[in-house]
Amino acid sequence: MPFKDMPIRRKLMRIIFLICGTALLAMSISLFIYGSRSFRKSSLEKLSTIGKIICTNSTAALIFENRQDAKEILAALKAEPHVVTAVLYDEKGKPFVHYPSELDTNAFPLRPGPEGFRFAHSRLEGFQPVVMETRRLGTLYMQSDLGDMYEEFRNYAIITTLVMILSLSLAWMLTRLLQKNISVPILALAGTARMISDKKDYSVRAVKRSKDELGSLTDAFNDMLEQIQEQNLALNEFNQKLEQKVSERTIQLENLNKELEAFSYSISHDLRAPLRGIIGFVTILEEDYTSRLDDEARRITTIIKNNTMKMGHLIDDLLAFSRMGRKDIEKTTISTSAMVEEVIREVAPDDKNGHIQWVIDSIPDVKGDINAVRQVWINLISNAVKYSAKKAAPVIEIGFISRQGETIFFIKDNGVGFDEKYKHKLFKVFQRLHSTDDFEGTGVGLAIVEKVIAKHGGRVWAEAAVGKGACFYFSLPD
Amino acid sequence: MRYVFVTLLLIINLPLVAQAPLSREYELKAVFLYNFAQFVEWPPTAFSNSEAPLIIGVIGKNPFGTRLKDIVSGEKVNGHDVSVQYYDNAEDIGTCHILFINLPEAKKREQVLQLLKDRNILTVSDAPGFPAEGGMIRLFTRDNKIRFEVNLEVSRAAGLSISSKLLRLADLFTPSKNS
Repeated sequence: MPFKDMPIRRKLMRIIFLICGTALLAMSISLFIYGSRSFRKSSLEKLSTIGKIICTNSTAALIFENRQDAKEILAALKAEPHVVTAVLYDEKGKPFVHYPSELDTNAFPLRPGPEGFRFAHSRLEGFQPVVMETRRLGTLYMQSDLGDMYEEFRNYAIITTLVMILSLSLAWMLTRLLQKNISVPILALAGTARMISDKKDYSVRAVKRSKDELGSLTDAFNDMLEQIQEQNLALNEFNQKLEQKVSERTIQLENLNKELEAFSYSISHDLRAPLRGIIGFVTILEEDYTSRLDDEARRITTIIKNNTMKMGHLIDDLLAFSRMGRKDIEKTTISTSAMVEEVIREVAPDDKNGHIQWVIDSIPDVKGDINAVRQVWINLISNAVKYSAKKAAPVIEIGFISRQGETIFFIKDNGVGFDEKYKHKLFKVFQRLHSTDDFEGTGVGLAIVEKVIAKHGGRVWAEAAVGKGACFYFSLPD
Repeated sequence: MRYVFVTLLLIINLPLVAQAPLSREYELKAVFLYNFAQFVEWPPTAFSNSEAPLIIGVIGKNPFGTRLKDIVSGEKVNGHDVSVQYYDNAEDIGTCHILFINLPEAKKREQVLQLLKDRNILTVSDAPGFPAEGGMIRLFTRDNKIRFEVNLEVSRAAGLSISSKLLRLADLFTPSKNS
């Protein structure tokens, strides 16, 4: 695992361990260097001191050429096991005695070398003059193995390792204890944050353990939670109020709508009675007084009758539209293809010479209010017939598309079509895209279609282009 | 005839063979006399001043020839020049630090020792029984090497301090052993 992805607890442990280890190592190395230097110095001094003692003691032996005595003096070196070789040279530089006595003569220099002790290879060796007053009596050669130095180094290494292990384990224990001060609040904070995001419970609070930056972080975290909670509360409250308001308004609107529908129904109803009177009297005028009227009066009478009839249609449509709005739908299974055939016969009875080409798919049955859906088919098919009537070869295609949970029907013609930018006006009451002079109509048919389909839980839409026909779609849920 | 010649040769050679170690012996003994000076400490009163010479005297027949003089010439012991003096009679001995007594008769030796009793003079001789007579150092030959025997009691009585380094090389004379 890379360092940056480690848990914070291990990161802290690693950092502290690394610092301790490095410091200890640096200290041990410097102590070791210092120790080895001073040990070398002291071994040099020690050997030199031993040499001085031996030189001083061996003056008489050299002067009186007493080998036995000189040997005994050198034999005292047994007390210092690291001195492995010692040789006394006489005044002329010839080896006088050597230690140990069984030593081979090849094992030491045959003639004295320059004064002083030095480190060579793995030993310390050197020459020291034997002097009495100003008189040079001879030379002492001594060689010491560095066994004691190595022994010292080994002891040092053992002690250093032990101390290091001890202090590192102590540091480890202390770190384990002390890192909790930092890691525990962070882990607690992280745990709280995770719990909150999992359970979406913003009422939980992190526990503050200290007054340091972690403490203020906890405070800030808790403050944020508080704010979120408050905002949530306000939002909920607002939502509830809004819902309430919406439902209130909806009820108000529904009531208003009902009132309006009742109003328009009664108006339409009431308007029909005087209209019937007008039509009745105009008919009487036409039938009984036609001989007494001149041509102009007869023309005007016809215009009055036509307009009155038109107004009657308008009122009928309006009544149908408002009735549709007031009536509840009753769903039954509708045999759509039978219904469509019936409707075609009804709306195009005069198309006996097969002027219109019908392309009809085998349409599936659907569920819906039988009268309302028939009205939809009547309105859409009659529109198609109406708007393609002026074509030389009108083609009307009726088909369907099955979708998940719904069936989409379409009625396509190759008539005059319309400009799609007026699409939004299509299904509004009394909205017409063509003039009454070109095509008859009251502008209520598509509004009724829209209302019926909406009541069934479906949708209505259209595609068209000017001069290229139109296609109306409506969907009914299964 | 051949045997006679060999025998003659042996006879002729005898004095030569005998004389050679003798002269070497005294040559060594002369060196010893000088070297003793380095391991013996005299009381300050033994020198009239710090510049005064250390005197090595010989009484009786001089066995060293000029050898002793050659050895000490130019040498210094503790800052003192070293000089050699020869005496015929004990009465002639003035300032002296080391005295080699080469008198064959024990009686004469004892007379000299008696005379020098209270003076700080290191007495040396190669006469056997010299320590028993009250002398301080006797030189003798052992294993073809010159050795010496020291009568510490006498040297101490004379106010002389002999270095332990020297004593380590010496045989120590103990009166009880000899009496």
